[in-house]
Amino acid sequence: MLERISFRFNRRALLRALPIVAVSAVLVAGILANGLSAAHADGVADIKKRGKMMVATEDDFKPFEFMEDGVSKGYDNDLLAEVKKSLPFGVEQQVIPWAGILPGVTTGKYDIAVTAVLVTAARKPTFTFSSPVAQSTTFFATKAGSSIKKAADLEGKTVGAQAGSAMLADLKAFDASLKAKGGKGLAKIVEYPSNPEAYQDCALGRVDAVVNTEINLRSLVKEKAGVFALGEGIAKPVYIAWAMKKGNTDLAKLIDAAIIAAKKSGKMAELQMKWFGTSFKEMPDDVN
Amino acid sequence: MNEFAVVWQHRDLIINGFGNTLIIVALSATGALVLGALLTIPLMSRNGAVRRIATAYVDVMRCVPFLLFVYLLYFGFPSLGLRFDNWTAGIIALTLYNTAYMGEVLRATWAGLPKELIEAGHAFGFSGLRLFRRIILPPVLYASLPLIGNQLIQVVKDSAFLTIIAVAELTHEATSLQTTYFVPFASFVAAVLLYWVTCVCIESTIGYANRYAEERR
Amino acid sequence: MTAYDYFSIAHGALATISISLAAIVLGVPLGLGLALVRWSRLPVFNQFATGYVSVIRTCPSVTLALLIFFALPEVGLSLDPVPAGILTLTLSTAAFNTEIWRNALMNFPRDQYEAALSFGMSRSVRFRRIVLPQIIRASLPALVNEMTLLIKSSPAVAVIGIVEITRAAIRVGARTYEPLPPFVFALVLYSLIVFLFVMTQRYVERRYAAGAAA
Repeated sequence: MLERISFRFNRRALLRALPIVAVSAVLVAGILANGLSAAHADGVADIKKRGKMMVATEDDFKPFEFMEDGVSKGYDNDLLAEVKKSLPFGVEQQVIPWAGILPGVTTGKYDIAVTAVLVTAARKPTFTFSSPVAQSTTFFATKAGSSIKKAADLEGKTVGAQAGSAMLADLKAFDASLKAKGGKGLAKIVEYPSNPEAYQDCALGRVDAVVNTEINLRSLVKEKAGVFALGEGIAKPVYIAWAMKKGNTDLAKLIDAAIIAAKKSGKMAELQMKWFGTSFKEMPDDVN
Repeated sequence: MNEFAVVWQHRDLIINGFGNTLIIVALSATGALVLGALLTIPLMSRNGAVRRIATAYVDVMRCVPFLLFVYLLYFGFPSLGLRFDNWTAGIIALTLYNTAYMGEVLRATWAGLPKELIEAGHAFGFSGLRLFRRIILPPVLYASLPLIGNQLIQVVKDSAFLTIIAVAELTHEATSLQTTYFVPFASFVAAVLLYWVTCVCIESTIGYANRYAEERR
Repeated sequence: MTAYDYFSIAHGALATISISLAAIVLGVPLGLGLALVRWSRLPVFNQFATGYVSVIRTCPSVTLALLIFFALPEVGLSLDPVPAGILTLTLSTAAFNTEIWRNALMNFPRDQYEAALSFGMSRSVRFRRIVLPQIIRASLPALVNEMTLLIKSSPAVAVIGIVEITRAAIRVGARTYEPLPPFVFALVLYSLIVFLFVMTQRYVERRYAAGAAA
């Protein structure tokens, strides 16, 4: 029989367990309140001692990073290969869902998030950003043939975005702006764990539109020609960079030096043309 | 800022998710219990074909991991023309999945009922649906209470899988909170504690119901 | 679906099986250890074991995986995805195994125990030669049942990025926008694995039930 052993409810044992569970919870909370710091993500000296830099990359965020035939490919991976050449240590890359990347950097699990992180005011207090690697605007996309053409057409519609992303924050701000203009705003905002699910739902008609960066959506529309249509921008342009824990300035110096060198040599523009079909010439060296 | 303080500040997210979990669990568990009870009829049927179809349904549900089943229902079925929104898909998946388990549990108890009970029922003129509803079902339900309790806890745990299809239940809201405010430990500890409290309440209720059932017997 | 897609889902099956086996191998003895702690009624450890079982039994595998992978680094334990996945499944199955072992220990006939005492057997000899073989025999069907349930909850580790069967199938579906074929293939693979375990369970039940009756 595939059912679990029946658990005879033992109230006495449970009452005896309760204080221990409560005490443990309080102890843990107390430890955290005193700021027990994690073992990882320290300065360059510690990374050198460890011998390798821990890198987190998202697993599906075309064309910045995506998995193909078991290998992580895309703009960020190509740029990382270029940057790696000038680093005095090795690199260990873990491909994990977006939900773990930024928290992983703040808790010290990863030294740097080599993934497309939008540089927003909300994130600046918590992260030190590398020299920007791209520039983009949050756009929306719809199913091909949809009646939604301009940003104002999104009034009363259901829109999807990735949970924990800056694009979601932009969408919420856009919703607030619609309401401020006297409209009802968006009908619903659906949060997805990753973008492919949002795209699929859009293609199926479960959401009327999805938001993502212009670069991502252009790549999507090109790849799935005839399925999607690109809409308009709903926010201001932002820079995209790699994220490190706030205060990790010596690592930032190393990484920035490598990125700026790639920019000067033209390698970055070459990669941008390859993956985005356009290149960003006028990006500043520091966005912190 | 202290992590737990951040979570407390945004506790409306967690409470909202918890509320949704409770709603989903209540709906699915009720559905699974009712449908499971109905499923026992074909499972115990003397008609071989009917019994085999019902048993096949139970076996399939017991082979399939719940996450895959949810995905199949949500993303796979639209190819067949059936499109559900995430709440509907989630509740249907939870209900259908646990109906099979409930049905199996109740069937096993039914098979263990003393024959005299059913024969006495026949002797008094009960038959068919009346026999099922008034003579068979009550003792089966009372005898299976601990196992039903276990299954209810399973429903609560499976509801966490619905985070993958973006249903705003407890685990999903905890993830959303921690990705936005970078407080993974506090978020998930809060979620785990809430799940624990829910299951302890379920076990308490089943315990009381069990005692009531014992008295009735 | 290309040939590589089939390969990637089959590769995911390998990941599922290896992670599940690792969790089974670690979780069964861990469950026995905790059950013995409960049985011996040591003061603080007893309550810790009870608390552990109570909380983990009711914790969804997804939430536990997220907690272990994303939250534990804050208290100093930073794991790679695969060890984190194995740890999640191990902790989860150990909680259930504890109850199974405890059930067998509590139902152990007291007279055998007392007979061994009267023979002057030391505790460890008594445990090793009298108690252990019999509780293994008594618990085996339920333990194999729990292993099957472990396999079915293994997709929970997909949320921390491990590419097991379900996640591999999801990736293929997200690329081709035709999710049905990879999911059906994944279903077939899961059914095969579960079928294997159920067959093992039936064999074990038949053999050991006959043995117990004798």
